[in-house]
Amino acid sequence: MSSLDGTRQIGTLLAPMRSRRAAYLCAAVAIALLPLVFTDSYWRTNLIICALNVMLAIGLDFVLGYAGQLNLGQSAFFGLGAYVSTLLITRLGVPFWVAFAGGVAFSGLAGIALSLFAMRLRGHYLAIASLGFAVITYQVLLNWISLTQGPLGIYAIPPPPPIALPGLPAVDFHDLRNLFYLVAGFALLSYLLLDQLIRSPIGEALTAVREDEVSAASLGINGAAWKVFAFGVGSSVAGAAGCFYPGFVGTLVPDAFFVTESFTILAMVVVGGMGTLIGPVWGAILLTVLPELLRGIGDLRLVVYGVALTLVVLFMPGGIVQAARLARARLRRAAGAGR
Amino acid sequence: MTVVLQQGINGVVLGSLYVLVALGLTLIYGVLVQINFAHADIVTLGAFSAYFFMHGVGGGYIPSIAVALVVGGVLGWLMNAAIFAPLQRKGSELLPLIATIGVSVMMENAMLAWFGPIPYAFESPYSNEVIRLGGTFITVQNVLIIAVSALTIAFLYGFMKFTFLGKALRAVSQDRETAGLMGINPDQLVMLTFVIASALAGMAGAMLGPVLVLTPFAGTSVIVKAFAIVIIGGFGNVEGTILAGLLVGLIESYTTQYLGPGMIDIVVFALLLLMLAVRPTGLIAEKREENV
Repeated sequence: MSSLDGTRQIGTLLAPMRSRRAAYLCAAVAIALLPLVFTDSYWRTNLIICALNVMLAIGLDFVLGYAGQLNLGQSAFFGLGAYVSTLLITRLGVPFWVAFAGGVAFSGLAGIALSLFAMRLRGHYLAIASLGFAVITYQVLLNWISLTQGPLGIYAIPPPPPIALPGLPAVDFHDLRNLFYLVAGFALLSYLLLDQLIRSPIGEALTAVREDEVSAASLGINGAAWKVFAFGVGSSVAGAAGCFYPGFVGTLVPDAFFVTESFTILAMVVVGGMGTLIGPVWGAILLTVLPELLRGIGDLRLVVYGVALTLVVLFMPGGIVQAARLARARLRRAAGAGR
Repeated sequence: MTVVLQQGINGVVLGSLYVLVALGLTLIYGVLVQINFAHADIVTLGAFSAYFFMHGVGGGYIPSIAVALVVGGVLGWLMNAAIFAPLQRKGSELLPLIATIGVSVMMENAMLAWFGPIPYAFESPYSNEVIRLGGTFITVQNVLIIAVSALTIAFLYGFMKFTFLGKALRAVSQDRETAGLMGINPDQLVMLTFVIASALAGMAGAMLGPVLVLTPFAGTSVIVKAFAIVIIGGFGNVEGTILAGLLVGLIESYTTQYLGPGMIDIVVFALLLLMLAVRPTGLIAEKREENV
């Protein structure tokens, strides 16, 4: 039985671009130009949040959209990356990029540990098990005060150290523009990595497991192993986002990784279009920017996530990607009729 | 010894409220094999409707429980009509669950915008009347909670066991298609289940209000435990759910006493993950195994 009927027809096409290389070039140019268009620190902050959310969303989509596993623990992997990397720096004095590798590895391993449950559980049971994992992680961060300082949080966390290439001026990440380039660069890199995986036979194996695990097994595809793989990759990407978060915000409190954060990420994936890699990118951008534009209506703006998620599931299960495809087909038909 | 006994009483009080919430989840799972994430917010709205009935309209506490019951039932009807019934026709496994997460986020933030984050002082007139039994105390509110919960559970049990509708309901949860062939309309029974399950949640909210801190997120802390309870008890299994609910209530009160309140969720969910690893069919095993 398929778990994601609504998105089955939607393949892994990279939206309207003819060539993938051109699309990546456009994305790189867009990343380069964005902080030059938005020069005030408020919008540059939002740009960085967008880039972090893109990483979280594509990481979740790899597990949910491709492997078909509803993982509600993405907030926990995000938090583990943030706390492990920060504690490695503050407690052990490890350099940032070593701590980064540590945070990514720890999140990935936690994802693999959780997927050991996924090997035996399906559908709703896995959703609740991963939710339980997120609740436990949050409570441990909150209550292990000797290590994490609990609700008081960790303060004055510096951004990543400047990168000095020979012959060029040092790149200082106190500058939000440079920090955006760093995070967005990693978001693009994550996208590239996931895109390569999805286009390789691995992507087909994952989709086969999602659509029908028994048939996949009869073709020699080890469903359990691929689920472990998908969880490991998806949670590592979330962990990488987590490593950049503390240096960007400057403080680290457990509340940033409450379970509801998982729901927000889920909304980004579904609204964008799960089972496509470009969809969650648009979903993450839309659901980061829209609530900011709606600041005028106060707390009610947070309702946007819920309304968007519900309406999309009910009326457009393929999300923005499906809507764009329908619109394009209609335009083409209209153009054909007009001739 | 008195501490053990006192915490035991508190545990049973909490546990019986958790049972009311978890039973709704398990009933819905029984007929639909779906989870309603927004069940939490029906609990919260039940608590708020009881609060506003008492403090806005000036009604009594006992009638306010009935108000919450009706509000819960209406919300359940809406949930099924708007979300589950349309998606059921599309026949997807995960989409309804995701949609109810959306409804839950929507309702929580709407309540946050309207009611604010500051806790409401929901005081039951029975919270201050205390009965002394030897060295232990029990408030009349707690007696009321245990009595109402026990009566409701007994009533539900009788309904499921002895009435025609109850038998039809069990038939639908055992085999939807065959029940349909026997002239039972599954859609109507699913709706009935939603109304009953959500009415229980609303009622539990009205009784939880004075026990917990009443904020727009009150239901969420309850629902994560209710999820743990339905899995520990076995999804769709009524007896298992009752047993697991009381167990989780007791675990919560003893953990608060001996390990500190911060450890509650850790202990409950560690137990949940342990159950999933060792015995995923629940305390009382059933044949339903397609999810494990």
